[in-house]
Amino acid sequence: MKKKKMIISQETMDVDFVRKVEALSGTSVRRCFQCGKCSAGCPMGTFMEHPPNRVVRLLQLGQWQRVLAGRSIWYCASCETCSTRCPNKVHLASIMDALRKLSWDAEGASKESYVQLANKLFLQNIRTYGRQYEMRLAAVFNVKSGQFLKDLMLGPKLFAKGKLKVFHSKNKNMSEIEKIFTRIEEMRKKGEAL
Amino acid sequence: MSKPNIMEYSYYPGCSLHASAGEYDLSTRELFKVLGIGLTEVPDWFCCGATPAHNVDELLSLSLCAKNLELADKVEGDLAVACAACFSRLKTTQHVLAESDVKRKQVEKAIDAPLKLEGKVKHLLEILATDLGLERLAAAVNKPLSGLKVACYYGCLLTRPTDVTNLDCVEAPTIMERVIEAAGATTVPWSHRMECCGANFTLSRPGVVIQLTNAILDSAKAAGADCIMVGCPLCHGNLDIRQKEIEGVYNVEYALPVFYLTQLVGLATGLGPDKLGLDAMIVNPTPLLKEKQLL
Repeated sequence: MKKKKMIISQETMDVDFVRKVEALSGTSVRRCFQCGKCSAGCPMGTFMEHPPNRVVRLLQLGQWQRVLAGRSIWYCASCETCSTRCPNKVHLASIMDALRKLSWDAEGASKESYVQLANKLFLQNIRTYGRQYEMRLAAVFNVKSGQFLKDLMLGPKLFAKGKLKVFHSKNKNMSEIEKIFTRIEEMRKKGEAL
Repeated sequence: MSKPNIMEYSYYPGCSLHASAGEYDLSTRELFKVLGIGLTEVPDWFCCGATPAHNVDELLSLSLCAKNLELADKVEGDLAVACAACFSRLKTTQHVLAESDVKRKQVEKAIDAPLKLEGKVKHLLEILATDLGLERLAAAVNKPLSGLKVACYYGCLLTRPTDVTNLDCVEAPTIMERVIEAAGATTVPWSHRMECCGANFTLSRPGVVIQLTNAILDSAKAAGADCIMVGCPLCHGNLDIRQKEIEGVYNVEYALPVFYLTQLVGLATGLGPDKLGLDAMIVNPTPLLKEKQLL
């Protein structure tokens, strides 16, 4: 993807997608004048194939497939430095959220599976328990990502310090929490929310 | 008979404080008791969604926070929040929903309850520095942290983005320094106090955290700090729990204890180690505190 020549034409520019990003993020992609402050301050830039300012440039050119195909959006840590320093009020951290949501909806559009898996398990935990069950989150992540030995040495130490709670009780208001999830699903089915 | 409290707050501890950051919860409750500040935990509070929720589903994130704000509204007092991430999410929700009619209507439908967005959400730092005030805080100190050089680590979410948390200046905050100096400690100027530690990549991509957190530890050490002070359980996890591993990877020795702000302030008010959960810290703070004659 990286080496493939980019051709800008009516056929390759998808402006509808960019409008969706703007609606979801509540910020304008077109305001960016490519000063590069976002990329200069980004702690995760070194891990991305497209630094933040280039993500915005690609969106301006309607080349969203290039953005979603890589791992850049999944390596954003949501530290908000870009949004804070933008001189023209482009809320880049929100654009990243919107891109991840659209990539998530397209199911597996990105190569970065570990971060997506962690997010998915985190949200499942809220739906099942109400409050985060940290130990289960870490254990299930290791099993599902096939890294059975990841951070194994930390386990006993954390356990001895009382930082790993093996037992975890569910919230009493689980039915109310479940309703929030189902109502949002219904709204999306009816087209009332993106 | 105990004295009546001078202030009352509702309290949202957040998930970590009931698990891996138990010492933050314990030291907060004990410190506030000493200061005469009442904390009533919000009944049935649940996860704010943290970073994973807003990362992939903003509407879900806003709805989870809005519901928690509604639960908090039923308890007397402003909402005290300990975790920087919960603080950021709750304040972001208030900010976004105040600005967007479309999102407000969607969230109202999702939680099927009236929105309660007016209540004040405050980080513990704000309560200590502003509501209680530095003078009253200093008056409660009977064991000043003299000679202890503290690197105050803000991380990302206490101050950023602009106009959302309104805790302090977004590029050069001083609130942590002011609080811990009131407790008698010395603070060090250093470069990485607002750099990201890698946050929740600790689960999915620990390599990222090791690289970013190493830079933070390195900077604190170079500035001559004895220890680091934080106000976020995730930053704490990365700096404290992963410190040994980082030392191994980069072949260096930091040995920097990482305290929650309530642990250090609590120590200055004369609270004992058992009430501050000092034994839960991975990097043992005892040698440092003994050397400074604080234990």
